[in-house]
Amino acid sequence: MGGILSIIEAKNKEIKNSSLEVLSESQKIANTKDLENNVVILGEYEENNSNQINEFGINKVLLGATNKIENYSPDLYKNIILNLIEKFEPEIIIFSGSAIGKDISPRIAANMNYNLVTECIEITVEENGYEIKRPIYAGKIIQTLKFNNNPIVLSLKSNYFAINKVEQKDFSFEQVNNEEIGNIIIPVLKEIIQPQKETLDVSEASIIVAGGRGIKEPESFKLIEELADVLNAAVGASRAVVDAGWRPHSEQVGQTGKIVSPNLYIAIGISGAIQHQVGMINSKCIVAINKDKNAPIFKFADYGIVGDLFEIIPELISELKK
Amino acid sequence: MNIAVCVKQVPDTASQLIISGDNKSIDQSGIKYEINPFDEYALEEALRLKDRDKTIKITIISLGPERVKQSLTKTLAMGADEAIHIETNEVIDDCINISTIIANEIKKNQYDLILFGKKSVDQDNNQVGIMIGEINKISCISNCSEFKIEGKKIIANREVEGTVEVFESELPAIITHEKGRNELRYPSLKDLMAAKKKPINTIKVETNIDKRSELLKLEYPEKREEGVIIGEDKSSVTELIRILKEEKKII
Repeated sequence: MGGILSIIEAKNKEIKNSSLEVLSESQKIANTKDLENNVVILGEYEENNSNQINEFGINKVLLGATNKIENYSPDLYKNIILNLIEKFEPEIIIFSGSAIGKDISPRIAANMNYNLVTECIEITVEENGYEIKRPIYAGKIIQTLKFNNNPIVLSLKSNYFAINKVEQKDFSFEQVNNEEIGNIIIPVLKEIIQPQKETLDVSEASIIVAGGRGIKEPESFKLIEELADVLNAAVGASRAVVDAGWRPHSEQVGQTGKIVSPNLYIAIGISGAIQHQVGMINSKCIVAINKDKNAPIFKFADYGIVGDLFEIIPELISELKK
Repeated sequence: MNIAVCVKQVPDTASQLIISGDNKSIDQSGIKYEINPFDEYALEEALRLKDRDKTIKITIISLGPERVKQSLTKTLAMGADEAIHIETNEVIDDCINISTIIANEIKKNQYDLILFGKKSVDQDNNQVGIMIGEINKISCISNCSEFKIEGKKIIANREVEGTVEVFESELPAIITHEKGRNELRYPSLKDLMAAKKKPINTIKVETNIDKRSELLKLEYPEKREEGVIIGEDKSSVTELIRILKEEKKII
């Protein structure tokens, strides 16, 4: 009894980056508390492709029946995880902050009547439980919560944890067999619609080029798209231009859009209202281009250019192409 | 068809929040409360269904202190039919207990569709709607950007990491809603007057929660230092590229 159950996701036979963060963090907790760390890999994955996971000090890798299945099934995933909880009785179950982690972790916690702590940014092992930090009010405030020794479910905020590797001891693979129960109270995935154009999603991109009202008209967003192309970046947008119907909501960064923390965030024609700020303030480097030198964005951008974006962006694109 | 929309009252997203002297609570003075934006988008979806089919009944459910009634009146003015205000004797701040209480209230009626915002913008928990689905054994599709009802079925689009997953489920179902594609409606003065005649039923719930967690403290995140202005025209582009390439090594 006790120990950690780490829930790892694979996509296209690779472990997702957000899941490597889980492996790294669960290894740290396992070490501090001397706990066993069992890992279940969900999603398409092959046993012999273990070089991605063999540097995290894990004890056992469990391959669910999902390793042959490409798509997400809440029913199957839930049943596999619940069965493993029954088998290992973990004291801590760790998910990533991926879309699947966000959907499945509350299902697990509710079934087990455990507390679920989402968006964790720091986990400290204490003598009689855990202290956990997480942002609230879209990051305007950080809360520290203390949990006693009851079993707990956590999900980590993506892009927040360093991926630290350790020397691996031996670990074993075990195939766990679960079948879809075909539970009618669970929704079924019918279709996946791919975007018309292969685009990077803001929540996964390491560089984001975002545009706001300063772009003036929807057609001019071509400039933003072109710059994003050159930098292999995702296109982001402020609420104003999404509400105006210029850009899809999937690109919106901010309190009612996505909360992102890329390596580089280039804000173009964005004034930096508080609702936008909270969505991108944790970016590692922020560059602002705006013609209003008093725009709030310059108060927290690392580098700024005050000027006309219609002159600066084309210059930036042509210089980068050189 | 009966639709329930669960809403939460949260501080206005433009609020500057001040931590009180106890380091455990937010200074209430000057905070303006509003309906959680994602819940408002969910309500808008319900209202649009009702625009097309007047026989649809929309019930709003909200857990929270007395001040929640103000938000409930707004939802009634927007077009909901009735509201249920759940009042508890103690402040409950963990999702599993909140979900259990709301799940109990939902069980009392036959709702075909129960809508939530995908998360509340105050606590960012992302949990309650999905948990209630599991507790009451109702199918839940989370994080939906749009949905349609076809007979006894619901078909909903989940926006996931760059793709759209289309899920299908039998009714009754729970949807947790993203920001919608539809613009929100604003009630007129006449709507507000009419809302005063619609019922808000207060349900008092006695709880005795076994507390498994404790809030130790609140703090502000580290402040970002003010950066540098590289220049004021296109000649600064070369310098910007040099910094990003050579100093920061991020492009």
